[in-house]
Amino acid sequence: MGGNSPCASCKLLRRRCAKDCIFAPYFPSDDPHKFAIVHKVFGASNISKMLQELQVHQRADAVSSLVYEANARVRDPVYGCVGAISYLQNQVSQLQMQLAVAQAEILCIQMQQQDEPNNYSNINPLLVEADDKSFLFQNNNYNHLMPQYLNFTSSNNDSFSNSNNVIYESLKKESYFGHDMVS
Amino acid sequence: MNSSRCAACRHLRRRCPSDCIFSPYFPSHDSKRFRCVHKIYGASNVAKMLQELPADRRAEAADSLYYEAYCRLKDPVYGCVGTITILCQQIHNAQCQLATTQAEIASLSAHSGLQNQYPATPTFNLIDQYDVASANWSDFNLQ
Repeated sequence: MGGNSPCASCKLLRRRCAKDCIFAPYFPSDDPHKFAIVHKVFGASNISKMLQELQVHQRADAVSSLVYEANARVRDPVYGCVGAISYLQNQVSQLQMQLAVAQAEILCIQMQQQDEPNNYSNINPLLVEADDKSFLFQNNNYNHLMPQYLNFTSSNNDSFSNSNNVIYESLKKESYFGHDMVS
Repeated sequence: MNSSRCAACRHLRRRCPSDCIFSPYFPSHDSKRFRCVHKIYGASNVAKMLQELPADRRAEAADSLYYEAYCRLKDPVYGCVGTITILCQQIHNAQCQLATTQAEIASLSAHSGLQNQYPATPTFNLIDQYDVASANWSDFNLQ
């Protein structure tokens, strides 16, 4: 269709927008900021290469995640998305602790109910030691989310990448891809 | 002097100057590290990003760029955003479980008349959705 306005990418790159432009479906001309930010962080040719290596039905999600990462990087030039991961990891840890305390409290109440005549009033559930909390979590194993993969050294060994590989692979097994994050 | 070139200059097949922006963060013995970031961001973008930071923040920035590039190579569709999704889901599940557990505590306590014996369990704070760059979560829909 002759006369179509160029997509945001071709406008920014000042080139003719071909009919089969790889960017056009994902970077409409009415949102120039979207392409500008991914171009700033990744570069147009890298984006193009990444999209070409994906199947067509995967490209929209890939663009969304690249835009997200680019926004995070612009906002936090030091940590980018890793800052978000670190924050969420802390939240998971806090919830783990709260859950452990709550579940220990249930145990104490149940113990007290079973041994009603005896005086256990000196038991404080908040001080109950639970060295092995694995029985509390049952199917919810958060151990693989511990921030080992965030302990990357500044430059000089592969241990970071090796440990990250293990943790990342285990994360992939629990992929919730496709679920809308907005509840 | 070839052996003293950093991984970036070796990959780019150029001389490694004494003030090379890459050399503190991409040592020659770890070529994979630079290859990852170069494939995703490109050398010139990485150099620009590092140059815009104070020197004492560049090591962390290089590490996070490597991490994100690594995640993107492993998962070309979602990259490290997939990890964020999983963590959000884990948080949501844990919040639900905590709510259930605390309701059970309240019920048990009320049933056995123990509410005066046990101090009230601190209620968990609803953890706000992480708001990166003030972006709405609705702006990012994985479906």
